[in-house]
Amino acid sequence: MSAPPLNEKFASIRKGLLEFLILKIVASDKVYVADMLQRLSTTEFATQEGTLYPLLSKMRREGTVDYEWHESDAGPPRKYYKLTPKGKAQLDELNQYWAYINQTFDNLGRA
Amino acid sequence: MQKVITINLNGNAYQLDESGYGALHTYLEHADAQLGGNPDKAEIIRDLEQSIAEKCLRFLGPGKSVVSTLEVEQILREVGPVDGGTTPSGHAAGQHTPHAGSDATTPPHPRRLYQIREGAMLSGVCNGLAAYFNVDPTIVRVAFVVSAVVEMAVTDDPPWITVMIYVLLVFVVPYAKTSEQRAAAQGASEGIPYKVQEVVERVKAKFGGLHHKAR
Repeated sequence: MSAPPLNEKFASIRKGLLEFLILKIVASDKVYVADMLQRLSTTEFATQEGTLYPLLSKMRREGTVDYEWHESDAGPPRKYYKLTPKGKAQLDELNQYWAYINQTFDNLGRA
Repeated sequence: MQKVITINLNGNAYQLDESGYGALHTYLEHADAQLGGNPDKAEIIRDLEQSIAEKCLRFLGPGKSVVSTLEVEQILREVGPVDGGTTPSGHAAGQHTPHAGSDATTPPHPRRLYQIREGAMLSGVCNGLAAYFNVDPTIVRVAFVVSAVVEMAVTDDPPWITVMIYVLLVFVVPYAKTSEQRAAAQGASEGIPYKVQEVVERVKAKFGGLHHKAR
């Protein structure tokens, strides 16, 4: 069950963009991991716990996200992630950089 | 009949089939190796265990207290292999470097061909082939039947070649006896010295002359 070649070409780009997207998701709402997976599941960036937990722990070490424990109705308490001020600053920077990359991409090759 | 093993996932007890336990154990060991020197390793493993535990609950109810092997395998596929990131170290670097650059969705270990008795119709050959190629066992069984029918139509004889291939596989392909071997049949383990090429070699070595004699 291998992905089509075109999809393969973008695998590393998708992987690199995942952290950016997590910042965006966490910025919009207080979310726990199942929420994040759910929101990504219908996109090109669908991922799994095995990828997400190590990434979130790295982001927390770098100080861009943090979590708090909240009781849940069903089952044990959950970690809800939120953006730190540093994460907010990084997201703004990334948004600008992304716009810049898009601009470059659109302009290149034009007469 | 399978032995049931009770495990503790983040403070709650769950009962798994013995081979399901083997698959989970292999998964967590692999996660441990992938995370290598990650300072948050213990926490990440706890988070993963919690996710697995929550997914186990989905399969349990008033009339069902044991999570079956197939259910454990489904849960582990949903959770996905642990991606150690760009800084594999120590243990992880030594064992998994060949896979470090590959896509995260490729299985971390080579698959091994086995006969799988659980859910088998005859000997488990088709079941093992299905696990190896990651398809529904029914498809493999239908393929064998179609092959036999085609052979009968072409040769106007009973389907000797198809039957022979099946019987050869029964004798040559080993059974997945341990939980590690069953996990390896799905591509989730390592260290079992068995590859398809080796099976082919064994066929050649054991039955090299048979083909000629049969003619």
